[in-house]
Amino acid sequence: MTDTFIVYLVDDDAGVLKALSRLLRGKGYDVRPYLSPRVFLEEHDATVPGCAVLDVSMPGLDGLELQRALTVANGFHRPVVFVTGKGDIPTSVRAMKAGAIDFLTKPVKDVDLFEAVSRAEARDAEMRRLQSELESMQAKVATLTPREREVLTHVVAGRLNKQIAGDLGTVEKTIKVHRSRMMEKLGIRTVADLVRMAEKLSRTK
Amino acid sequence: MAVSSSMIGTRIVWWSVVLLSLLAVESRAGEPQRVLMLHAFGHAYSPWSDMAASFRAEIIKRSPRPINLYEVSLDTTRAKDTSDDGPFTEYIKALLSGQPPDLIVPVGAPAAFFLQRNRAQLFPLAPMLILGADIRRIPGATRTEHDTGVLLDLDLPAYVENILQLLPQTKNLAVVVGNSPVERYWTSELRRAFEQFADRVNITWFNDLTLSEMEERAARMPAQSVIFWFLLSEDAAGVPYSEDRALEAMREISAVPIFGMGDYQLGRGIVGGPLMQTKALGQQGADVALRILKGDKPSSLDPPSVRFGPPAYDSRELQRWGISEARLPHESVVHFRQPSMWEQYRWPILAVAAIIPFQSILIGYVLFQGGRRREAEAEAALQRQEVAHLMRVSLLGELSGSIAHEINQPLTAILSNAQAALHLLAQKSPDLAEIRDALQEIVHEDDRAGEVIHRLRSLLKKGERKGEYVNINDLVRSTISLLNSELIGRDINVRLDLQNGEFVTRGDSVQLQQVLLNLVMNAMDAMTSTPPTQRSILISTREEKAGTVDVRVKDRGHGIPPKLNDHVFEPFYTSKDHGLGLGLALCSTIIQAHQGKLTLVNGEGGGAIAGFSLPVQKAAFGTA
Repeated sequence: MTDTFIVYLVDDDAGVLKALSRLLRGKGYDVRPYLSPRVFLEEHDATVPGCAVLDVSMPGLDGLELQRALTVANGFHRPVVFVTGKGDIPTSVRAMKAGAIDFLTKPVKDVDLFEAVSRAEARDAEMRRLQSELESMQAKVATLTPREREVLTHVVAGRLNKQIAGDLGTVEKTIKVHRSRMMEKLGIRTVADLVRMAEKLSRTK
Repeated sequence: MAVSSSMIGTRIVWWSVVLLSLLAVESRAGEPQRVLMLHAFGHAYSPWSDMAASFRAEIIKRSPRPINLYEVSLDTTRAKDTSDDGPFTEYIKALLSGQPPDLIVPVGAPAAFFLQRNRAQLFPLAPMLILGADIRRIPGATRTEHDTGVLLDLDLPAYVENILQLLPQTKNLAVVVGNSPVERYWTSELRRAFEQFADRVNITWFNDLTLSEMEERAARMPAQSVIFWFLLSEDAAGVPYSEDRALEAMREISAVPIFGMGDYQLGRGIVGGPLMQTKALGQQGADVALRILKGDKPSSLDPPSVRFGPPAYDSRELQRWGISEARLPHESVVHFRQPSMWEQYRWPILAVAAIIPFQSILIGYVLFQGGRRREAEAEAALQRQEVAHLMRVSLLGELSGSIAHEINQPLTAILSNAQAALHLLAQKSPDLAEIRDALQEIVHEDDRAGEVIHRLRSLLKKGERKGEYVNINDLVRSTISLLNSELIGRDINVRLDLQNGEFVTRGDSVQLQQVLLNLVMNAMDAMTSTPPTQRSILISTREEKAGTVDVRVKDRGHGIPPKLNDHVFEPFYTSKDHGLGLGLALCSTIIQAHQGKLTLVNGEGGGAIAGFSLPVQKAAFGTA
């Protein structure tokens, strides 16, 4: 999380690649330029914060394919800004649906690019925050005993202590103890928070 | 009275029994009618022999009954006196067995005189027709009631007037006239008649000359002289002449034109003019004779004198003496006209005249066609250029998106570099090295955009075929760079396999690039249904044969369907939905114009191989 934000820049046109990276570097970004989409895929490190500025039309692997490949890689959306010479509507719709930050037309104005990259940075930060939150949550869930996890499931399902005790073949009091230990371990005070957390976790599954 | 043997000997008796037509014999099966013709001179003496011949022919031809013709010649040129008349009359009587003939025809004045003298002894009651004597010599008073005459009325001054009209410059006039009694008469008549011209021309008389003397004089006649040949039966030496021979001889040596007196002379050397009409005289004589034979009383018939007919001329003589026909009197008749070129060669001339315009038309047509062909060729060349240009435009139209991209890329780089530079400048301590770098990039990218536009412009430009040196390998590279983004867009991988070496051909780089563009785009179109991973085009150049370069464009598309094989180079034949069908036809034309050949075959491993070979120039020239 302490890593600096990296802009991955992929364009098969050397001139454009050089110019865009100069522009972004001038703005203070750490730019990693790639002429070849395949080399980029090989070297891309999904763990570091950053975004991808991709040319749409490239030999071998075009920008949309690259976007998909990035998503498939780890189920994590690397924010993507598209830069294209041929801004046709079907392509841009597909790109945006797939979660692109923006779809910029060449020649690209600096403000548009900076704005898109800064939004990508924000999105990336947000995603990273959610990610780490989720991870800590998962870590907490991992500390629960099997009984506590069972109780958690039933609580989230909206059942009362008495009902849970009946289901699990025990007494209401025992359930109450498990429940408060579970809540404590997870650092959650209300049932509502618990449900919200459970939803987040199930979504990433 | 004795008749000399020579006289008897020269007397010629003509027995002419003439058969008439069968019809006439049937209708008038009468006795033949007897006609006695009495010639003044020998039978061959002109003009009397001519008159007699005409008369004889006419009367025999036209008489309804057979004519028994007796002809006796008095030969008066030799009989110098009239004392010989007696035996002659006896002879004639004997000839006719004492029976009077149905008609007596003396020809010429001397014969008429003979009969007038001896009429009492010689058939006084037989009708007589005096033929061909001049009216001056046979005045009406000398005739009996049994006589009549078809006589001449010679207008003697008219002869000289004619000469002066034709040749107004005439100074000397020599008159040929003989020395026989009748000619002596005429000499005096002529002298009297020509007196009126004495102040205009100097007249000399040849009557006291021999023929050879006359000829000598004629040969030495000065300019502006003429000879008037009147009559020559006997010259001063007493030599008789049948006139035509003498005239013809004179004409051969005469230095001056000869004019004559009668139609019988025409064609024998005289120029012509008003002439005595021997033929008409014979015909009129026959008219009168036939009426007498029918029973008309001679004295009741008073035929008019025979005068000159329309002036008649000999065209050859007119030409010989340079006398213009324009000078001739209006009613003139020109004989012996040399058939003109036109008359002589009428058909050849017509044929030539017909052929010349025909040929001219043909030649004109051929020239016209040549002109039209050149025009058509020029037009076709222009149209080829237009078509080639249009095809390039449409080709580039298809590529417009990709080409825009090719320009957009450097523009993008330029903008970003410029804006980066601006940002750098805005910093407190600007990184000047970085800024310079950005500016250099801008220049570089601008060049790149310019290059694309230049390539486009030359492809879009209309113009005549140029002859320049074209490096084929460079042309391939430049073509591919133009197609770069299109190839990327269509997921097509291009591989170049260019043999090292300078393949320089002479031709039009734009048109050759057009061919390459076309072939590569065909290859691209052929691979639309090929899986993207397999889409590839291989472009190669090889010097297969010394002096030629082979350019091949190999794709991995569907290849050429067999049924299309024969048609691919045909204009307007297309297998594409949006094609005009001109691409390959045009490419083929362009390559042919570069002395090359365009080929299109299916590759062994599928796909098509389009290629062309071009002659390679000896290298070491600049490239296009």
